[in-house]
Amino acid sequence: MAAYIVKRVLQIVLTLFVFLTIVFFLVNAQPGDISRLYALDPNLPPETRAQMQELFGVNEPLWKQYLVHLKNTVTGDLGVSFSLYPRTVADVIKERLPRTLVLFLTATVVSFYLGFGLGKIIAWRRGGWVEYTSTLGGVTLYTVFTPWFGLMMIWLFAFKAGWFPIGKFLDPVVWQDAPSDANSIFNLMLATAVILSVIVFGVFLVTSKRRLGMARVLQVGSIAVSVLIVVGVWLSSGVGYLAWDIVKHMVLPIATLTLISFAGTMLLTRNSMLEVIREDYVLAARAKGLPEKAVRDRHVARNALLPVVTSFVFSLAFAIDGGVIIESIFSWPGMGQTLVAATVSEDLPLAVGTFVFVGLFVLLAHLAADILYAYLDPRVRY
Amino acid sequence: MSNQSTSAPVLRVEDLGMYYGTRSGDVKAVDGVSFAVGRGESVGLVGESGCGKSSIAMTLLKLLPENGRIVGGKILLDGTDLAPLSEDQMRTHRWNRIAMVFQAAMNSFNPVYTVGDQIIEALEVHIETSPDVSMERVRELFELVSLDPGFIGRYPHEYSGGMKQRAGIAMALACEPDLLIADEPTTALDVIVQDRILKELRDVQQALNMSLIYISHDMAVIAEVSHTVGVMYAGRIVEWGETVDIFRNPMHPYTQTLMSAFPSVTGPKHELAMLGGEPPNLLNPPSGCRFHPRCPYATDVCKSAEPPRVEGSDTHWAACWHPLEA
Repeated sequence: MAAYIVKRVLQIVLTLFVFLTIVFFLVNAQPGDISRLYALDPNLPPETRAQMQELFGVNEPLWKQYLVHLKNTVTGDLGVSFSLYPRTVADVIKERLPRTLVLFLTATVVSFYLGFGLGKIIAWRRGGWVEYTSTLGGVTLYTVFTPWFGLMMIWLFAFKAGWFPIGKFLDPVVWQDAPSDANSIFNLMLATAVILSVIVFGVFLVTSKRRLGMARVLQVGSIAVSVLIVVGVWLSSGVGYLAWDIVKHMVLPIATLTLISFAGTMLLTRNSMLEVIREDYVLAARAKGLPEKAVRDRHVARNALLPVVTSFVFSLAFAIDGGVIIESIFSWPGMGQTLVAATVSEDLPLAVGTFVFVGLFVLLAHLAADILYAYLDPRVRY
Repeated sequence: MSNQSTSAPVLRVEDLGMYYGTRSGDVKAVDGVSFAVGRGESVGLVGESGCGKSSIAMTLLKLLPENGRIVGGKILLDGTDLAPLSEDQMRTHRWNRIAMVFQAAMNSFNPVYTVGDQIIEALEVHIETSPDVSMERVRELFELVSLDPGFIGRYPHEYSGGMKQRAGIAMALACEPDLLIADEPTTALDVIVQDRILKELRDVQQALNMSLIYISHDMAVIAEVSHTVGVMYAGRIVEWGETVDIFRNPMHPYTQTLMSAFPSVTGPKHELAMLGGEPPNLLNPPSGCRFHPRCPYATDVCKSAEPPRVEGSDTHWAACWHPLEA
């Protein structure tokens, strides 16, 4: 298992290197150099222009620039943003990456859970209104034009119904005279989410060996208790209303992302289930007198999960693509919006930095999926 | 071999019928089958592919596909009729009372769980035990079928074919069932492993005084494990009797053909018999005796009327208009 992970990590480092190389040369394949942006002013004397070129390092040969770029990236120096001068790219990313991660990880996990659960049900009880409704609805949402759908969600739930804010990350009125700034509150929320997921994962890991009924009770019980504790801590902290404001702003984009993507998982789960149902060990599980639900969840769904996990990784990569659109529509100040803004304002260091982080994120997701897969399928471990 | 008990049979099947509904009509896979299995008795069901052997096994456990349905008859397990039971009621009988070793036992283990866990799973559904007791039981079972207990925590893909088959038998014995159904469990194994496993299966069956229904198309295998043989043809039992009688004096022409289709190592050389024609279409089986289109002795009466049950002895009968003389 350790050898497997080491091998995968080495492969990912190699892939990242290739990715960095491609991004660097793509950017440099564009006409002109970065300094031209500032040096176009005809009033600038040639000495200033040369000074600028030297400052940006573009007077060096390309291969030298490439080495400097690699060295800087590896040491975490991504340069200074042009459009948000004097903030460094690393600083901007540090602020915005968590926002995107929370949005997408939540949406992906929810849509995966929804899709897997629905796919499981419609494969088990084929025919009937549940299958038709969820298949028709799911495929419609999967293929719908995303910007239009996002705007419809805003129009319906934010504008007409008024349940949620129309966009953005927070409501300035609520945050007036707030005792804490948005980033620290958000980081606290992030830490809470991480702790909660670790607890949930741990509970499932510990109880997976228990009897079915008992495991369910333990799982639901301990998760409910930890959720209650978390809610209690936030309520008593005095900044709970600030966190609640951010949560309110997250609901619509997460719901939109979930709705447009769950059908893929659902249909794949359904097909995968229908294949596994024919396996002999499913018949054997029935013959053993296991309850219907145990046959479905422990034997059929457990094996049907394997191809679904693989596709889940690819959907993560696509989620980042979709993020550009969703974040723009909901004015969510995350990586997607930063990428668009940096490109539009020709803020090259920020654009490259964002690219690097999006790529890094996709690679890490692949690694996580590989490890998860090895955990799920004992045949891969050896 | 003849430790057959005289007490009430563990299983009595009466006039059992099971049809598969298809677009072009019902496939009568099991049609009017009656037989009984005594406690500790070993019965072999033999016949060509598609004659309804496996369908009987699945009907006894009521593990039918969506289009399969029991159309009549009784499955009396110790006097309780299983045929009308609901899925929930049936679940308590499965494995606990009737267990099964599958045709493709290689694939009867889920690849993502250890073999030990899958046996414990079967134990825990039916018997309230602690994890330690279950583990101890699995160790016992592994020893019973000559498997290294060190393999309890291993995954199915780490087992060889023969080991998986042994593990399949161990799993079937987990709840000490009254009746074990073995559906061609050794078909995919090489002859040496096959022979060893057959021997062990027979030993275990006798040691536990468990009833066994062994399903095979191979007469030689049946002869090795079974005390009684039922010969099936086109969804029906055409001859029933003790193994010795069936082999020495087959009464039904089909049994005779089936027997002469296998070479004998020690006996005189003879041309292996070939059965002409094709197995009947169970969508629309032949009238009268179902074997008549392929039977060398068939007369007009065979085509029009159901054959009577002719008794050769107390324990030996055949459904035939023209039974062969002993």
